[in-house]
Order: sequence, then structure tokens, then C-alpha cells
Amino acid sequence: MLVLELEKVETDFCPNCKGIWLDKGELELFLEDSKDKDELIKSFSSAKGIREKKIKCPICNSKMDKIFVGKDHDIVLDECKYGHGLWFDKGEILEVIKLGSVNKNNKIIQLFQDMYKNEININTTEEK
Amino acid sequence: MSVGLILLVIIVLGVLYFVSNYNSLVRLRNQVKNAWSQIDVQLKRRHDLIPNLIETVKGYMTHEKETLENITRARAGAMSANTVAEKSQAESTLSGALGKFNLVVENYPDLKANQNFLALQEELTSTENKISFARQSYNDQVLFYNNKIEVFPSNIIAGMFHFVKEEFFEVKDETEREAPKVSFK
Amino acid sequence: MWEIIRLNKRKSFLLFIAMGIILLLLGYFVGATFLGEDGGPFGVFIALIIWSVLSIISYFSGHKILLSISGAKEVTPDVHPQLFNVVEEMTIAANLPKMPKIYIINEEAPNAFATGRNPENSAVAVTAGMLAQMNRDELQGVIAHEISHIVNRDVLFMTFAGIMLGSIVIISEIFLKGMWFGGSSLNRYRDRSSGGGGGQIIIMVVSLILAILAPILAQLLYFAISRKREYLADANGARLTRYPEGLASALEKLSQNSYELRSANKATAGMYIVNPLKEKGRKLSDLTSTHPPISERIRILRNMAGAGFNDYQKAYAKVKNKNETVIPPSELKKETYIPILSEIEKATSHGKKEQQRKLGDIVMKTNGYSFLTCDCGLKLKAPADFNGKEVSCPRCGKRLKFE
Repeated sequence: MLVLELEKVETDFCPNCKGIWLDKGELELFLEDSKDKDELIKSFSSAKGIREKKIKCPICNSKMDKIFVGKDHDIVLDECKYGHGLWFDKGEILEVIKLGSVNKNNKIIQLFQDMYKNEININTTEEK
Repeated sequence: MSVGLILLVIIVLGVLYFVSNYNSLVRLRNQVKNAWSQIDVQLKRRHDLIPNLIETVKGYMTHEKETLENITRARAGAMSANTVAEKSQAESTLSGALGKFNLVVENYPDLKANQNFLALQEELTSTENKISFARQSYNDQVLFYNNKIEVFPSNIIAGMFHFVKEEFFEVKDETEREAPKVSFK
Repeated sequence: MWEIIRLNKRKSFLLFIAMGIILLLLGYFVGATFLGEDGGPFGVFIALIIWSVLSIISYFSGHKILLSISGAKEVTPDVHPQLFNVVEEMTIAANLPKMPKIYIINEEAPNAFATGRNPENSAVAVTAGMLAQMNRDELQGVIAHEISHIVNRDVLFMTFAGIMLGSIVIISEIFLKGMWFGGSSLNRYRDRSSGGGGGQIIIMVVSLILAILAPILAQLLYFAISRKREYLADANGARLTRYPEGLASALEKLSQNSYELRSANKATAGMYIVNPLKEKGRKLSDLTSTHPPISERIRILRNMAGAGFNDYQKAYAKVKNKNETVIPPSELKKETYIPILSEIEKATSHGKKEQQRKLGDIVMKTNGYSFLTCDCGLKLKAPADFNGKEVSCPRCGKRLKFE
């Protein structure tokens, strides 16, 4: 895992799968200027039934729980049982941030947009 | 017989005393030299850092041509100085020029965010500190040495073997030292 | 300076002897308890061997042992260039023959210590928390204090006392545990020996008391001498930097710290700049006995009218309100007035978040992470196993190589 730092904010990044790990409390920092922050965080709910491959927490190495984000269960994230943090598969962080309607000019948000721009572009061309 | 023995002992003791006095003079003179070479190392380091510094800040500080030119000029002056007195004079001019520069930097937030510049700044600050600390200890050594040359009986030995007093490395005013010591965080 | 060094050497020697006597007594009574009255001399013999072996070990590699139990890692200049610069500056100011080796302890609690047997073989260890919290002048104050310990020959004393104290604690503990678990066998022994039973009980009681008291006694002895050393190192530190406020403000920050240094223990506590062991639910403050009260040290430094020994002595008398000497008078007499550098710009203090990030950086660097900044402004930090590998920048896609 690489550590990325921009504008004095750090995130952990996996260069192979392009996923992102946020330590406990870091997501709240990203959503600092969002109106819907509390609502979004409240919407986290357990997604026991879902059949996605379980992955391990990079800190304690125990299997993480699946959780839904958003009212309509739009996104599935992995959360460490012991509260170490959250795992975002490729691009998921951007979707979560969109749900939180964060100010688009925030430099960190722009970083995520830059990072997954290519991926999303490929997806849209494929759809066409 | 016994008088001869006593005389012999006195002569031997005298010679021993003479030798130890001579040795301590030599030791002190070497310490002064060592202390001076420490200053020299740091001064040279400062001279080497300045072109890098100017190169890094040139793009940012377009309105400070004069300040930068002053530094370059002071550096050239300091590099051509030879005697201790000349060097003290030229180096304190350079310190002054750098001190002014450090005050001006405050007006350039972009520059202060530049990693390269910050690293250089740390090196320069540290070199300035090292110069003044080295000066402190050089002057201490010179004081010891000069005292030894002046007092009896080592003054006789000093006279015989041409031990001469060394100059202090002085800066006009002690408060000048902190002029460049502005912290950039 | 020589007066201070001479006095310190003498005190170190006294301590060396006193610790030895405690160890021998402990040996005698432990031997007598377990092996009967003839066991006493045998115990002394064993203790004598332990004492000499320990002395030799602590002289030649005591500093290495202490550094490794404190979890300190030796680092290269690129991990923290400023730390190296500051140590070099103080080495020059103190006219040390050689720059001490530099170690970093990966802990959040800010603290520091110096060790070694003489100025040629010395080391300075600083925690990552210290580096994250202090500005340059404060760090310089702390390092000046540590370098002063090296100059004053405190390091040999501290290394030695640390090792000795540690061993006395261990021997006593082993003995006390042996008493609890081996109680029955002792009783059996007493039954077999006809007569002399009463004497054996007395010896047992004495050794029990001694085993409990020895570590405390040794500790008291250690602190009695080390307290004054802290004042002396403060005085010398202020004199080296010509700026007492740097150290004063560092000590103030240290006193407000609420972390405990996990790698410190009773035996090593005395060698740190501030007591690393926190009493439960209380901040590190005046109530700790291993060090002089921090608030007092700060007040003395802030009351100094100049940066010399004379000024420290005057400030000390004023704050303590008594005419005690910390600095030998002969030292005071030959000193001329040394001015303090006038007020230096107050360095901006870092926010909590920034401090955390700096701390993280230091921890990563000491663990061999390499740092790279891409042209797009993104900073990448990679663990050692990325060395020599190429990665494309997650942001702009540029190929980057970790050296």
C-alpha cells in the first residue's frame, strides 16, 4: 500500500487494485463541508446477506463486514469489525462523496476525480 | 656529592617544566587552528549554498533584485577575504545581507511552501548557527592561548619559540547573530 | 567546565561503590536464606561476579543495551535533516571531539535522552513525538540539554546507574518470587537443621526486607545525584544556545504532554529529559520524583538575565529562595558575562492535525519508507518493499520510480 498526501491530507492507496483505505474518522474529515454528512453516516447499515468476496482489514487482518451506504443501499463498502476503518473498492470513494454532496472545488475531491477519471470514462464509452 | 645530586634533580625538574609548558603552548595553538578550520568549513559551506538559494528564489522574487544582488556581492567579497580580520568583516556583511533576505521572504507565501526552498532554508539557517557556534568556541580557544602567551613563565618560552597572539573573530555587534536566525516553519 | 566534570566523575565513582555494596548485601542475605549460614559468603561471591560483569558490560555496551530496550533506531540524515543539523550545531558549540550518533524512538510521547561512556562514544535518542511537536529553537534547547549531559560526563553515570538499578530490581524480584513459591522447601530445610532455626528466621526476615528495600534504596541514591545533574544540564544547555527560552518553552510543551512513553521503565526513567512515566490519571508534572519539578526548571530558565552560569545560579537562588549552589563557584568566577540572544521571532506552532502528520512521516521514514513528490503535486510514500519499483502516479499517470 502506498500513502498519498495532498494538501496535508493522507490516504492509503493500493496501486494494484486502485482501492482506497481510510482510517477511522478520515471519511468524516473529507465530508467536513458537506451538509448531508450526518445523514450519510447514519445511513450506514449492515449488509450481511450480500455475496461479495470478503476482504481483510489491512490493520488487524481480520475479515471485514459488508455495509450499505445511502438510503437506497446504493454502495457496498467493507468496514472493519474492530473499527479500524473503511475500505473503498476502485471508484467507490467518489460515489460516496457524490452522495454526500461535497463542494466540488475541494482539492482532495478533485484528486479523487482525477484518479478515477480514466476508469469512469472507459465505463461510459463502453456503455455507449 | 649530595649537592650535585640535588642540582641534577633541580635541572631535570626545570627541563621537565620547560617541556611541559612548551607542549601546552603547542597544544593550545593547535586547538586554535582546529577551531579556525571548523569556522572555515562552515563559511565555505555557506558560500556553496548561496548560488543554489539564488537560483531557487529567482523566479519568485522578481521585485527583490537588489536584495539578491547584495547577497551575491557580499558572497564574492567574503570569498576573496584572506586575513582573520578581513574575513570577520566580510562575513558579517554577508550575514547582514542574508538577514535582510530572510525578512523579505516573509512576503512570498508561495516560496515558503516550496519544498526545495525549505530544505535550503534549513541548511542555511543551520550553517549560520554553526558559524556562530564555531566562532564562540574559536574565540574561547584564542582567549586561552593568548592568556598563556602573556603570563609568566610561559611568556618566556613563547618569546623564544615565536608563539604569537592570535586575532579574535569578531562581529561588530553580538546582536547581529540572530539577524539571520529567523525560523521558517 | 573541568570543575563540573571532576565533581561528576567523583560522584559517579561513589555511586558505583554504593550500588556495589547494595548488590553485595543483597547477595549475602539471599545466599544465607537459600543455602544456610555458609551460603552468605557464597552469595557475596556470586554478587561480586555479577557486579563486575555488569560493570564491564555497562562500560562497553551499556549504551547499546539502553538504546535497544528503549526501542531506539539509528537513523540517517535524510530521515530528519533538521535534527542532524541541530545536533551538529551543538557538537560544535560544545567543542565535542565527535558528533554523537542519532537515534529515533517511534513513540508519540515527546522525550529524549543521551547515553554513552564518553564524548567519543555517545548517542542521542529522540522520540518521534518530540520531533513532531517542537519548533527549531525548542529542539535546539532539548539537544543542548542532552549534549550537556555528554559534556558533563553524565552519560557514563546514567548508563551505569540504569544497568545497575535494572539488575538490582531483577535480582530482588527473582528472590521475592522464589520466597513465595519456594516457601515450603525452606521450611523443610529448617526442620532438618537442628538448632540455628531462630537465626535462620532472622536472616530470612532481613533478606526479605532487604529485597524489598534494595531497589528503592538504589533508586533513591540514583535520583539524589541525578536531580542536580538536570539543573546543571539546563544551565549548560542555556549557555550553549545563548537562548534559555528555547529550552524553557520545550519543557513547557513537555509538561503538557499526556502520553506515556511505553518503552521506558523504572530503571531507565532517570535518563530522560523529563520523567517518562505518568502517574495514573495525572499529567506529567511536579509530583514526579525522578526529576526536579519541570515548572521550577522553566521558571529558573525564564528568570535568567544572561545566558551564562552566573545568571543561572542567580535565577536558581531567586526561584528556589535559598542560597544553594548548583554550579561550582570556581566555574562561576572565571566566566565573563554572556548575553542572551534577543527575542527571536515566535515560530508558528503547528496544529494538532499537522503534528499528527509530521509524526506519521517520521515513523514512516525511520521504518524505511521512501518519499516522492510527483510533478502534479501529489506526494507518494512507499514502504521499503517498493524500493526500485515503478508505480504510475494515481493522479496523472506519470511513471515514478522509488529509489
